[in-house]
Amino acid sequence: MSNKTANNTRLGLFVSLSIALLITGIYFIGKKQQLFGNTFIVNSVFKDISGLQIGNNVRYSGINVGIIDNIEQITDTTVKVEMLLDESTRKYIRKNAKAIIGSDGLMGNKIVVITPGTPDKAQLANNDNIQTAQAISLDDILLKIKISSDNAADITTNLGLIVRNISNGKGTVGKLFMDTVFAENINQTLINIKQGAGGFDNNMKAASKSVFLRGFFKKKKK
Amino acid sequence: MATTNSAASEKKEVAVIVPVESRNPYTLFIRPILHEVAMLARFCALFFKEVFAPPYELKELIRQCFLIGYKSFPLVAITGFIMGLVLTIQSRPTLAQFGAESWLPAMVAVSIIREIGPVITALIFAGKAGSGIGAELASMKVTEQIDAMEVSGINPFKYLVVTRIIASTFMLPLLVIASDAVSLYGAYIGVNLKGDVSFQLFFLKVFEKLSFSDLFPAVIKTFFFGFMVALISCYKGYNSNKGTVGVGESANASVVLASLSIFILDMIAVQLTSLIT
Repeated sequence: MSNKTANNTRLGLFVSLSIALLITGIYFIGKKQQLFGNTFIVNSVFKDISGLQIGNNVRYSGINVGIIDNIEQITDTTVKVEMLLDESTRKYIRKNAKAIIGSDGLMGNKIVVITPGTPDKAQLANNDNIQTAQAISLDDILLKIKISSDNAADITTNLGLIVRNISNGKGTVGKLFMDTVFAENINQTLINIKQGAGGFDNNMKAASKSVFLRGFFKKKKK
Repeated sequence: MATTNSAASEKKEVAVIVPVESRNPYTLFIRPILHEVAMLARFCALFFKEVFAPPYELKELIRQCFLIGYKSFPLVAITGFIMGLVLTIQSRPTLAQFGAESWLPAMVAVSIIREIGPVITALIFAGKAGSGIGAELASMKVTEQIDAMEVSGINPFKYLVVTRIIASTFMLPLLVIASDAVSLYGAYIGVNLKGDVSFQLFFLKVFEKLSFSDLFPAVIKTFFFGFMVALISCYKGYNSNKGTVGVGESANASVVLASLSIFILDMIAVQLTSLIT
């Protein structure tokens, strides 16, 4: 009889522990999804939610403070996102706070990031709307990279053309580098300038000794 | 000469008895399977007829819960622990290639809770409890204990089959929950073999990625696994009729068919879950 009682006790313990484990699991999953505890609702209207889904996290100052409760298309260009936030965070989120759709890491889920407002504004009320800001999406970044790479391609094409012209001896720079006659002419011009400068120097020396110009040079020395 | 004649006449008789149609695949394979399925369905219907009708064998039910559920826990727990540990160790190198080792607890938790925990535990359960039920009922059948119960005024189906099926249906989900918990502990050890993650952080990471759509379908399908394991085992044991050889055959068929049914049910459950979520 005592053996039977002991077996029943063991069975009861096993059943109780297993059910307790299940309830613990349900509690922690439910807590993460804001099923237990006080919450309040905040709405935001976005043009593009970038794949945000119901159940995704809402983050404020890097802390998960709630989840996306509902997503509803309200016009052809706007989507209303309903967020369920923890009541304890209400005192920190002001009316001029902004919601941005971000990403949890490089490969992670989409999240809504609420940026803080200013302390002079009032706290959010239940069902309040907060403004949204368009975050830079991966598509935007890729578009900018594409524009930059197109520009780089144009620049390299033009550079190639210039180098080709130079090597073909086209234009002044091309003649300077590639035309031997032009280079000879420049060389001759430089010799002529050198000779002209030498002659000018001799003339000025002779002029400084002239009776008519001696006074002028003395004044200049003073 | 007379012997030769009799042998020849026997051969002739055999040739007459075995019809040509028995050699086609339908008669050889499909018809016996369909017959078995029909008999199992009748057995299942009888269970549902008997389960709600009094008297209720509560004491036997609790005894079966202890034998089927509690007694299976050590085996299930050891298997679960090794499963969690090995899965973590094996998954680490792949995640490390992506620099995503921090995802290890969440990934292992989702794998264990959704699929590996329920299926492996149910298979272990089929091996231990299923074979036990099949062999026990078969030996009772061949030693005419079941007939004796009937004669003494006890409903053997209610006493032997109903109690075992109910016990199995409700014990397997509890075993799976316990096994999942032990597996996650194994995973925690596995994570810390080459890393340093506190239990609190591991716990948070596990529940970070889990949702009700992971937990509830996994738990619900284990009720069906438990029901099917016991139903098949009881059917095979209760209908055993080949003497002592039949006992072994019943135990073997119970495990094989129960394991197969677990995979089939799991496939259906996964399809239904993906339709709902």
